Amino acid sequence: MLYGSKLYNTIINKEHHKFRKKVDFDLAGEYSKKGLSPIERMADRFERVINEETPVILPDEKIVFMRTVSNLPAIFTDSEWEDIKSRHYIHELGFMSNLSPNYYDTIKTGLIEKRKSADEYGKRAIDNIIALSDRYLEEARRQGRDDIVEVLTRVPRYSARNFREALQFFRILHYALWLEGNYHNTVGRFDKYMYQYLKADMDAGVYTEETALELLEDFFLSFNKDSDIYVGVQQGDNGQSMMLGGMDEDGNEVFNLLSELCLKASHNNKLIDPKINLRVCKNTPAERYTEATKLTKAGLGFPQYSNDDVVIPALEALGYEHNDAVNYTVAACWEFIIPNVGADVANIAALSYPKAVDTAFHNNLIGSETYDEFFSAVKAQIAKETEKIHESIKDLWFIPSPFMNVLMDCDIYTGGKYNNFGIHGTGIATAADSLAAIKKYVYEEKSIDKAAYIKAVDENFENSPELLHKLRYESPKLGNNDDYVDGIATALLDAFADSLEGKINCRGGIYRAGTGSAMYYLWHANEIGASPDGRRDKEPFGTNFSVSLFANVKGPVSVIASMTKPHFSRAINGGPLTLEFHQSLFSDDDGVVKVGALVKNFIDRGGHQLQLNTVNLDVMKDAQIHPENHRQLVVRIWGWSAYFVELDKEYQDHVMARQAYSV
Amino acid sequence: MNGIIFDVKEMAVHDGPGLRTTVFFKGCPLRCMWCHNPEGLSTAPQLMFKENKCRHCGLCYNACRHEECKPFGRCVHICPENCLEIVGRSIDAATLAKELKQSAGVLGDTFGGFTFSGGEPLFQPEFLLELIEKLRGFHLCIETSGFAKSEVFKEVIDKLDFIIMDLKIADGALHKKYTGQDNTLILNNLSYLKSTGKPHIIRTPLIPGITDTKENLSAIEKIIGESTWEKLPYNALAGAKYKMLGMHYKL
Repeated sequence: MLYGSKLYNTIINKEHHKFRKKVDFDLAGEYSKKGLSPIERMADRFERVINEETPVILPDEKIVFMRTVSNLPAIFTDSEWEDIKSRHYIHELGFMSNLSPNYYDTIKTGLIEKRKSADEYGKRAIDNIIALSDRYLEEARRQGRDDIVEVLTRVPRYSARNFREALQFFRILHYALWLEGNYHNTVGRFDKYMYQYLKADMDAGVYTEETALELLEDFFLSFNKDSDIYVGVQQGDNGQSMMLGGMDEDGNEVFNLLSELCLKASHNNKLIDPKINLRVCKNTPAERYTEATKLTKAGLGFPQYSNDDVVIPALEALGYEHNDAVNYTVAACWEFIIPNVGADVANIAALSYPKAVDTAFHNNLIGSETYDEFFSAVKAQIAKETEKIHESIKDLWFIPSPFMNVLMDCDIYTGGKYNNFGIHGTGIATAADSLAAIKKYVYEEKSIDKAAYIKAVDENFENSPELLHKLRYESPKLGNNDDYVDGIATALLDAFADSLEGKINCRGGIYRAGTGSAMYYLWHANEIGASPDGRRDKEPFGTNFSVSLFANVKGPVSVIASMTKPHFSRAINGGPLTLEFHQSLFSDDDGVVKVGALVKNFIDRGGHQLQLNTVNLDVMKDAQIHPENHRQLVVRIWGWSAYFVELDKEYQDHVMARQAYSV
Repeated sequence: MNGIIFDVKEMAVHDGPGLRTTVFFKGCPLRCMWCHNPEGLSTAPQLMFKENKCRHCGLCYNACRHEECKPFGRCVHICPENCLEIVGRSIDAATLAKELKQSAGVLGDTFGGFTFSGGEPLFQPEFLLELIEKLRGFHLCIETSGFAKSEVFKEVIDKLDFIIMDLKIADGALHKKYTGQDNTLILNNLSYLKSTGKPHIIRTPLIPGITDTKENLSAIEKIIGESTWEKLPYNALAGAKYKMLGMHYKL
């Protein structure tokens, strides 16, 4: 096992950072003076930075390549970038991220072959990668590492001939994507495209399961060498998502020895990368859930489950071809994307359900005679918000990435096979609970006066403690298998999907409604004050598709019942139900089997996506005080796992405030 | 008929085979010093106060109009932090059965069954029997101290599928000292249980210096014989709930 070895400790103790340096050349100024085009700048920066890289091979390391230049100088001057932003819609940092490139096609042909069909910038990138690889080769020779010499003599120039070469090849490609400046570079259906290499080696007797696992652990470790440079909204949010399992084109489940070994490698390494996802369906055997739950027990927040029975038909209904829909994987978090050919922007914007409710509450409650009339106002507000999003996204422009384009089967800049935009939906529980309270107390019981209700919300319930208590703790809440409020959540999802239907985005694709929240569960919560469900000003929403933080819910079974009712087929951009379990649940093997059974139940009931967190509040409290004692404590945030102590406090506090189910 | 319960827990994983829902009965004839469910001791509703969340606003001391708050002199429907809760609700067996069946429906094939725990479920025998009747067809399990009249014990056990029974202390005098009752009834009921051949587990909580002594454990081992025996580690947080109930933890 790699865990605890010298190599492993070198990486987790960040000792390899000593090989790093920063480059300080002013590329933007130079490019600006020369009047270089964006793609010329990208190609040039890649070359300049990769030339600064130092080949480092650590003792016992089998899969090599690590970043030694830790920064990428800007390619545009501030004023140039401002100018671009004034003329275009720029998504996040400007790159087309969250793609699932076709690593396999290059691994099986080699860069020399790939070079033939690449454009001039792609060719330049390939030449630079080969040059660095040759410098690694020299270093391997210098160190007398014959094994590495053998591998690097073959790849990345030529096709991989065996499992180790394939893994090393992948590492080089993935490394190069990051170095080019791309981010949220996902791994895709790894066990599907890599298995043939493992199988051939196993058949030839090159590996035992144990030695293959050891190599895989080394490979998995490589995802953690540079990941601290790849910061998203928070450390850990880096999109190195790996998908395992799932159906093939004929509906047969793919779950092979490599899938199994990947679960084991992740379990043994206990590191947050790569982020493990598992595709499952009605036919998935119970034992697989038990195996996967061992990872959950290990506290890594893996795997995240996606349900083929729901996702594939839903993607087809949105216009994805069957062969592409069955091949889906996830983006950085949970957005469903299509490997190789998909250029969807799966996280382009987010709708806040509570804001739509808040606006209608203030503008339409007094005038609405019935709940239906009021709900129509909420729907109209949702439609208005999504229209606003649609109107705001015009002339979307991406910074070109020549090497990413080499690895995709389509020209992503002119448009992939799919160019759809995904929109998250935040705070569904806050909105549904608010609407349930309004429906019950204003329109049915008539026990709360409309004006007084609005006043109480606006005053953050300062003068109405009894009302606050009733709304927070004694009102219908999403998550209790209560049709009254669950039905409202369904109606909200439908309203969201309805509002996007027929809209064509600026890249010619459609819009996809989703159940995810990303970081908007904190951001959107600050856009409104208190809400009619008794949520106070500044209190966050639940993440993704979850119950409200303060709802009294009966337990995970009722939560699952509630959250498997809505029509996901219409809101299939992705976004999981998150359940937190207390560590004590797993005190014996029986707990693992039972949690596995609960996951199976969620899938069998038609839930679309699920992530599980194993938590211990006392440990988290202690980690806030003594972070040095809990460096490897992992928690699941909104769609990725992170080291607890590396998170900002507001993200730590949110995990601690979630409902944890114990025994 | 009505009974009094203090909780219904979904997905109890340590209370019998499969994914189960456990009903906690309120009221117990024993007073084990280490009891970690002190709200299960008395059959009367009790006020539970989660002091750590209290912001000392004093709102709960204002006079209110709720019948249920009267005995406690505090209002439980006003706390912004939900610190106050009346534990123990009187519920009719038919209503409870209906509520319980909902979670069974959700779990479908993965549902293991229901478990009656407490407190001591045998302390409310008529209510328990009615509930068992209403849940016929499901896998039913009990967690009991075994302290009940033999005829009650037999009648209930015969209708259940799985029994989890405690044997805490083998010696009668020590049993009385630490639980408030002699263990003759328990031992008799245990030997009946063994004679039925029904699937069962015997559990012993390991309380330092009280139940985990060599003498006690070897005596229990002899009594238990072939039965499955689980020794439960002492729950260091067992005393936490006493303060919330205004009770005193003796250990």
